[in-house]
Parts: sequence; structure tokens; C-alpha cells
Amino acid sequence: MNIYLREMKAHRTGLIWWCIGMVGLVASGMAKYDAYQAAGVSVQEMMAGMPKAVLTVFGMTGFDLTKASGFYGVLFLYIGLMAAIHAALLGSHLVSKEERDRTSEFLYAKPVSRNHALTSKLLAGLTMLVIFNLATLLSSFYFVNLFGQGESVGADIRILMMGLFLMQLIFFTIGTAVAGVIRKPKAAPSIAMSIMFTAFLVSYLVNMSENLQFLKYLSPFKYYDAAVLMADGRLDPVYVALSVGIVALAVLGTYRFYSARDLSV
Amino acid sequence: MNVIETTKLTKYYGKSRGIIDVDMTVAEGEIYGFIGPNGAGKSTTIRTLLGLIHPTSGSATIFGKDVTASGPEIRQEVGYLPSEVFYYDDMRVIDLLRYSASFYRKDRTAIEARIKSLAELFDLDLKKKIDDLSYGNKKKVGIIQGLAHEPKLIILDEPTGGLDPLIQQQFFHLLKEENAKGATILFSSHILSEVQKLCDRVAIIKDGSIIKVEQIKTLLENSTKRFKLELVETPVASAFAVDGVSDLAITNHSVSFLYRGRVNEITKMLAEQDLVDFLVEEPDLEEIFMHYYKKEDEQ
Repeated sequence: MNIYLREMKAHRTGLIWWCIGMVGLVASGMAKYDAYQAAGVSVQEMMAGMPKAVLTVFGMTGFDLTKASGFYGVLFLYIGLMAAIHAALLGSHLVSKEERDRTSEFLYAKPVSRNHALTSKLLAGLTMLVIFNLATLLSSFYFVNLFGQGESVGADIRILMMGLFLMQLIFFTIGTAVAGVIRKPKAAPSIAMSIMFTAFLVSYLVNMSENLQFLKYLSPFKYYDAAVLMADGRLDPVYVALSVGIVALAVLGTYRFYSARDLSV
Repeated sequence: MNVIETTKLTKYYGKSRGIIDVDMTVAEGEIYGFIGPNGAGKSTTIRTLLGLIHPTSGSATIFGKDVTASGPEIRQEVGYLPSEVFYYDDMRVIDLLRYSASFYRKDRTAIEARIKSLAELFDLDLKKKIDDLSYGNKKKVGIIQGLAHEPKLIILDEPTGGLDPLIQQQFFHLLKEENAKGATILFSSHILSEVQKLCDRVAIIKDGSIIKVEQIKTLLENSTKRFKLELVETPVASAFAVDGVSDLAITNHSVSFLYRGRVNEITKMLAEQDLVDFLVEEPDLEEIFMHYYKKEDEQ
């Protein structure tokens, strides 16, 4: 419990700023929708003027942009990216920070096993992911409803946030696994970020070409594609199973490598 | 009973040597010195004992329990002060010490009281932020977090760096008190005089291997000193052919040599010289290794 509380306290300010950022992102995104509506600009017409390829690459097809929910679907791409960055950084940072700050020689000379410390850190991380997700969820409900002109969006947002949470878990545990394996604590966050951005680019490639569809399994961003989720109204069980598998493997790897290796002090 | 026991403890970092076949036994209630030049393997041994790194081969036990298998249980009764201290910069001293205390099963109010009394002894402001402390004050935090829970085994890795002489003296006094109450102490250092002041027995480590374990008394009897003389006239080398003299160097009017043996013998010889000035100093460890242990190896 002591390590858990310590981590919550150490990350408190950072988490607050991330939440403010997410609320701001949702608010400004939906305010833009409102501005388009008020000005009488048909977003649909504006989009029709853009090359199809561009729209596809940016994942903007499949949405009815005259509706608040459709507009929110496009916004979700950026929400997902922010959440992934936060999760990957948080995971890698939680595990590598003791070595980076050279406090590992203090902490692990205490009567605590590495597994125990890891469990506390993972639970602290999980708590912070939930808080991040709730901040996004609540602000989404509020602002989409505010500008939505009576459109019912609850179901869409709920399903998207479930997808978002699984995506957060994937990148969080990839972050912890990288930091668990790597002995250079300063490199861990950047490696975790590189993995995350590669996955993001892969999702672009998949959008770009029909021939690259098989790559979609490599990018968690494609598992929880807003257009598909909103059309289906449910999560694809294959992708959920795949997500659970990745998370389980990453958590296992984190424990295995971190408790077996020499700490860098 | 032995508090620490290592058997052929070996650690390689990839291909580079850490320690090789270290056999070490530290008895209960003993102050055991662990001395050797930098890079000899002192910290590697200590970090292996603490479970921060894992041995390549061989084994080590503390309180009769294996350090790898029972690490957390062992460390309930261990206090450790590393040579360089790093703590969480955003914490206040008291928060850090309470965080440290929260890991031990001992009575929290007793630890808290001890933190207060030690902070008073070392004149440390508990309300300050870690980040604002000088290095010496951080070291004091290190001493307190290592001793507040009254451990049965105190492990110190070159602990005196950054401490001014007065604090150092208080610290040594505190260690002797803890020892009198029953604590066993493993004290690593590269400064011989430090170890001489405190320890009962000393292990000398060089290039990853323990080359000698001696009672401190024996070491003192065999203590080597470096003599530097300034003479009125150019000295003759034969005048210094006394038993125990080595590494003799004569340049113009000055002479420098190492002497190991009874002090009376050398003062007799010195009395016959026409001296302008002379200096006797503690040779550094390197010199002892060069002129004492190296020769013994050859014999």
C-alpha cells in the first residue's frame, strides 16, 4: 500500500494536467462542430470537396459529419492517440523511474520484493488509467450532449470509451514490459513511445490500402476504430480476445524480466 | 553463529568481472571491514548480498537464509547505507524517512521516536525538501533511514564520503553503540585508517577476489608507513638498509621509503641522520598492495 500511495502522490499533478488536457480536447473539438453548425457550413459538403484518399487516410470516412456523434467519431482518433501516449509513458515511467532517479538502491534494499513493488505500481497505474478514462468519458457526455441538439449519443460514447480503456491497457502494459526488460531506464519511455507511434502509423497504412488489411491485427488503433464501433454498437470479440492476450503477455513479461534481472544502480 | 556467509560467490557483468569465488564469513556481533581499491568488487559483493543484483554462481546467506530466495525477509533486519545516496527529490526529509519506516514490521512509534533523536544528533532539519539538501545532509538522511529500525545487520558501503570530520566521529560513535547493543556491521571502505578505527576483522579484496582476511591487531602490528625525509647532505643508500624498508627512492637531499615493522627500529636509524625535516604518513591502499601483498603473493 505504501508504494501505491507514493506513486499516486508522485503522479498526481501530471495526471491532473492530462485530464484537463482531455477535457479541453473534447470541449474544443465539439465547440468547432457547434461553430460549423451555427455558421451554416455543411461539413459534409466541405468534406466532399476533399480528395477521398485524404479522408480515408485520416480515418474520416464512415461518419455522418452533420451529426454531433459523427463529428465526435472523428475526434475520437485524437482522443485515442492522446490516451495511448499517456498510457505508454505512464507504464514505462512507473517501472523505470526508480532506476532512472537512482532510488532503486534505496527501495530494493527495503524488505520488499520486486514482484510486490511491481504489483503496487501496476495497480497505481491502473487507477490512473481509470481516472483518465472517466475524465474523458464525463467530458464527452457533457460536451457532445451540449452541442448535440438532442441527439442521443450515450450508447456511442459508452462503447468508444470501453474500446479506449482496452487500448489504454495495451499501451500501458507494453510500456511496463519495455521498462521491465530494458536495463537502460532512460531509454524505456522513448522505446515504448516508438512502439506506440509505429502502431499508429500502421493504422494509417491499413486505411490507405486494401492490400494491407492484414496489418490491422498489428495496430491496436484499428481494433477500436470509431466508425466500426459506432456502426456495430459492440466490440469485436476477436479484437477483445487479442487485446486481453497482449495485455496478459505484457504483464507476464514485465514480472518475469523485472524480477530476474540486475537492477542498474 | 555467522550472520553473513558466502560460498564461492561469483558475479560477472556480461563478460566483465565483478567478483570471483568470494568466501566470506561475518560472525554475529562483529564489525567486519571490507577494504580494497575502487573497482575491486566491494559494491558488487554488497549489492549481491542485498539482492539488487543476482550472483552468476555461488551462494550467499544472511541470518542463515539464502539472499536470493528470502530477500525481503532478510532485509527486515538489515540497514543499508550506500556510498552515493539518491532519494525522491519531491519529498520532505520526514516523508522520506516515514516512507522508509513503512516497509518494516517494527513498531512505528518507536521508529518515529528514533528518527527524531537521530535527526537531533546529526542536526538535520526534517522539514526540508530532499532537493534542497547539501550532499552531506543527504548522507545524514541515508544514515537515519539505515539505522532507524534498529537492524541486526548494518551494511555500509564507503559511508563516510561527504561527511565532515565531526559528523564522521558522531557516526562512528553511533555505530559502536549499535554494535554494543548486538548489531553486526559490514563496513566497506578504501581508506585503511577508517577501518582501523572501527573494525575487529578486515577482508582485503583486490581484482574481485579476497586476498587476505586479518585481525585488525595483526594489521596494525604490520602497519606500513611512508617516510619522507629531508637531509642536510646527500644521503647514502646503505644507511637505510634496515629490515622492513622498501620502495626506497633517493633524489638529491630527499629520501622516501615505506617501512613496515617496529617503530623503535626505525627511530634509532633516523636519530643517526642529520635531518632538516621529516614526514610520516599513512600509505594509500594501492601502495600497501604494491609493496606488501603483492610480495606475499610472490613468495
